[in-house]
Amino acid sequence: MSSAQQVKNIEQESSHTLSTRNAKYASVFSELLLKYGLIITLIAVSVFFSLKTEAFASIDNLLDILRAVSILTIVALGVTFSVVVNGFDVSVGAVTGLAVILAPALMVIWKFPWYVAVLISLSAGAIIGFLNSILIVRFRIPDLLATLGMLYLVQGLQMSITKGDAVYKGMTNPWSPDRAIADGVISPIFLKFGQGFVLSSESFRGIPIPVIIMLAVALIAFVFLELTRYGRIFYAVGGNSEAARLAGIDVNLVRTIAYIISALLATTGGLVLAARIGSGAVKAGDPYLLDGVAATYFGFAVLNARRANVFGTVLGAIFVGVMLNGLTMMNIPWYIQDVIKGLVLIVSLGLSYYTTRR
Amino acid sequence: MATLRAVGLRKTFPGVVALDGVDFALSSGKVHALIGANGAGKSTLIKILTGYYPDYEGRIEIDGKEISIHKPSDAFKYGIEVVHQEVDTTLIPYLTVAENLLIEKIASSSMGLFVRKNELLNEAREIIKRVNLNVDVRKQVADLTLPEKQLLVIARAISRSSSFIILDEPTSSLSLIETRQLFDIIQSLKKQGVSFLYVSHRLSEIQEIADEITILRNGQKVAYFTRQELDLSKAVEAMLGVPSTEVFPEKPKEISQQRMLEVRNLIKKGRLWDISFYVNKGEVLGLTGLTGAGKTDLLHILFGSMKPDSGEIFLEGRKISLQHPKDAIQAGIYLVPEDRRSQGLFIENTVAQNISFPFIKYLSKVSFVLLEKEKRYALELIEKVRLVPPNPDMIVKNLSGGNQQKVVVGKWLGKQPKVIIFDEATQGIDVGAKRDIYTLVRNLAQNAAVIFSSSDIDEVLGISDRVLVLRDGRIVAEFKPDKIDRQMVMQITTGAIESCP
Repeated sequence: MSSAQQVKNIEQESSHTLSTRNAKYASVFSELLLKYGLIITLIAVSVFFSLKTEAFASIDNLLDILRAVSILTIVALGVTFSVVVNGFDVSVGAVTGLAVILAPALMVIWKFPWYVAVLISLSAGAIIGFLNSILIVRFRIPDLLATLGMLYLVQGLQMSITKGDAVYKGMTNPWSPDRAIADGVISPIFLKFGQGFVLSSESFRGIPIPVIIMLAVALIAFVFLELTRYGRIFYAVGGNSEAARLAGIDVNLVRTIAYIISALLATTGGLVLAARIGSGAVKAGDPYLLDGVAATYFGFAVLNARRANVFGTVLGAIFVGVMLNGLTMMNIPWYIQDVIKGLVLIVSLGLSYYTTRR
Repeated sequence: MATLRAVGLRKTFPGVVALDGVDFALSSGKVHALIGANGAGKSTLIKILTGYYPDYEGRIEIDGKEISIHKPSDAFKYGIEVVHQEVDTTLIPYLTVAENLLIEKIASSSMGLFVRKNELLNEAREIIKRVNLNVDVRKQVADLTLPEKQLLVIARAISRSSSFIILDEPTSSLSLIETRQLFDIIQSLKKQGVSFLYVSHRLSEIQEIADEITILRNGQKVAYFTRQELDLSKAVEAMLGVPSTEVFPEKPKEISQQRMLEVRNLIKKGRLWDISFYVNKGEVLGLTGLTGAGKTDLLHILFGSMKPDSGEIFLEGRKISLQHPKDAIQAGIYLVPEDRRSQGLFIENTVAQNISFPFIKYLSKVSFVLLEKEKRYALELIEKVRLVPPNPDMIVKNLSGGNQQKVVVGKWLGKQPKVIIFDEATQGIDVGAKRDIYTLVRNLAQNAAVIFSSSDIDEVLGISDRVLVLRDGRIVAEFKPDKIDRQMVMQITTGAIESCP
């Protein structure tokens, strides 16, 4: 076959690459918008807020924003894992909330040392993730329904620990027959996970520990999903589970691991949250579900990945954080903030899906 | 008596001439077959006729009067309709047969607020009677079989008084009996003045059904035959640009007696009954039978993705236990599955990522994927399977069927197989790509045992050293392909002949 013939023979393929190339030249703008849309918006929003408010552009404020989004980012990365294997975990908010109550309760009511409380909480998270996967993999309940059931179950469990009370120093022990005061304390070491700083000096407040935890989690997740063969396997299971199975992958095992990771990260987020607020607030984890899902889906569009990805999720979470922080500084009332969050999500997703379709 | 005529159709994409001045006529009551390898311009022609492209050169006329087709509704208006390979895309699964047939009527305001059910049901019954479709019109479309759906789509086209129907690879997922039924319908509709543009890769069918045959290659019309003039080997030659004798690679004269795989008394309740056979190293064992005869079940048992109720499998004389595909892969048994899109590919990923997937372990260091190494590996395999263009970064979704299939085969070539199983490996791919696959099969057979399963009898006879026929889950015949002709094999598969003489 002559090379000229070959060129013609591949009509379908080359016409495709050529037409995409053509479209690229024709609309560099929409391509850029698609690829860098979120990043550009993020920068634009930051510049806007910096100009509007004095405090926005400082290092301390930047770290404050990162600290504010750290818990969300950790939870959202869990959601990302479930979405990567083409699942969906809506129990993350409840699992986050469970950790917020469980760890302080273990320390205050039952006087466990902080590390035991952390270990028990993480184990509880892992077990919930495992149960999720059993429901989904063994009993073949659709992901959304299985984890929705788990959401209610865990939420109820969370309340049962303290019979509906918040956990704080000097609370009455809900399990004591004579309503005695619980005399445990939340360990100061534990509190550091939410409130501490590292690298502090006279001129620098330091980097908040939640930010360090967030960066560590994000880095590990990024390396795992993007650089190792396990990441390939996770994405393969999400992309086409039957093809993955026929390529020798234990698909059920992969999905199980994804749900365990999801619950473990939700628990980690909850632990940091508990340390940050210094007490065990009831239902404190709830908002993290929706924000986590939003961050994950914001991330879909970043760099034209068209799939859930770590970098995108982190950026998505920061984006949500910057918006909220900026809006608060501009004294936009809290009830308008959700409206704006919704609008931005719709516009950004709409834009990226619309341009992909073309 | 209407004639649809296209004159000098030409369509270019930047840098490529997809269709280069093709003339073509479809007269009522005729079946005009359009054949050609992938990239020959068939789909471009179909897309022009159905209004998919707003701009192209040349003109289209009906009975000498020029018509303008630049959007799908134009084609619709002139009664041109296409029945795609994937019929599901044009049907609504959770509506009934009647509702699907009469959806426009139901949606239109003439219906009034309430659906007049009996009237619709009766009308629907009349319509499906014309295509001999024998189903309850109140049944949900989701519950129909594939051939039933196909007839339903054809029926709907006729009910809209479409007179030019384009059938795009209509038989690619049909069994022999179903194909026969489809042909009967086509014959009877022809008598009612409907004309068909029949696009297929299966030459034996075209010989049977077509009144006229146009062959495209590289965007040009390279041959035209009437039914009487058709000579299959000339047709293949025209399509490929090489003599047809070269489609199937030469078979070896001698085959080793070294048993590679042996199966004894395999039983899967309701599917397979007492299956025993062997395949030697260096041998291509053909496996044929109707859809539902148990071929795919058997292959999936050999690959560990389905568990038998009883029976033993031996690899190189040692009994093996296959609990999961990973066990089979570990042992050196690989499967090229039936449906490449849903079982063989990660459609959104690149060629390199697809090809490297099964053996990614060997392309990683402490679990980190070595991208450079992966790329070199992919390029090597791409060359082996003759992928065009040889680009590891292409997204698989954008490749033609033949090239996608090469990727599915290619991903198993990284490690020497002991047994490699092909299930309907050439379904829906063009003759050029088929030839490449056959060559690969032969090359693989030099150091391995190959099981080649297909419902296309010609290809099974052409590629195999020995053939097994399955019927109703049993092996009913075993023979050497040069000892038998296709008519006989067909009769064995359908049960017209009990078993091999």
